[in-house]
Amino acid sequence: MNHVVCESGVDLLMDFLEGVLPAEVNAALEEHVAGCARCAAFVRSYQATPRIMREATAITMPSDVEASLRAFLRARTRAFQS
Amino acid sequence: MTVGVPALEPSDETLAARAAGGDNSAFELIVQRYQARVFRLACRLTSDTEAPDVLQDTFLQVYRHLQSFRGDSRFGTWLFRVATNAALMHRRSDARRPAESLEMYMPQFDADGRHRATPAELQVASCADELLDRRVLVEKARDIIARLPDLYRDAFVLRDLEEMSTADVAQALGIEPAAVRQRVHRARLMLRGYLSDLLGVKP
Repeated sequence: MNHVVCESGVDLLMDFLEGVLPAEVNAALEEHVAGCARCAAFVRSYQATPRIMREATAITMPSDVEASLRAFLRARTRAFQS
Repeated sequence: MTVGVPALEPSDETLAARAAGGDNSAFELIVQRYQARVFRLACRLTSDTEAPDVLQDTFLQVYRHLQSFRGDSRFGTWLFRVATNAALMHRRSDARRPAESLEMYMPQFDADGRHRATPAELQVASCADELLDRRVLVEKARDIIARLPDLYRDAFVLRDLEEMSTADVAQALGIEPAAVRQRVHRARLMLRGYLSDLLGVKP
């Protein structure tokens, strides 16, 4: 049975986006989302979440961390000797 | 006809082979190439204060185990596996993180399985980066990722923040791809709900 409601559709979302659902389940989910404004809105925010979190946690390495790494490797390996 | 020749840089695998053969300048180039990404991964899997140690451990392990890199995966995949292990080892040695339930951020449904929230409410999280002050979002994002249950956090960080393939994440964490998808899915649901909550909207 491939009847999809919002709740079962949410359960399938990751597998849907990764393309690993059986074709008939895929089609049933697509059909539900196409006719459900709530799910369409939900999918948009679900898909945006990784990007928002990725950009918010994109940290730059401070120069003192880089200097410490070099000093550490200089002391313990044969690299960074000059 | 003159064809522009692009500046050729040695591939990771070439550098790894040279470094394994004792060429220290090749190892230095590997460090140069990957240090920023390893540091970012370490911050996401541990914390700002632990990340410098994870970074150091990672490259020391890489230096010591270059000979064991067999080339059956891409070098970058192998290096990230080493970095992930270093980060997880660090976290294990630090028992202060309390387990916390984030179930309250999961989507809510009525008895018929329909979303309780309206379309406008359901969509608001997708605009969180436009609606929230940048500094607030950065602070909250780091905080909530640290509060995710470890299983979800690790899979989410590698798959969605570092943008590794599901297969590579499965290999790095020693779990099945289906388990990666399930954990990443749970993390996305919680984080999506959390972003909604930050904007004063139910998930």
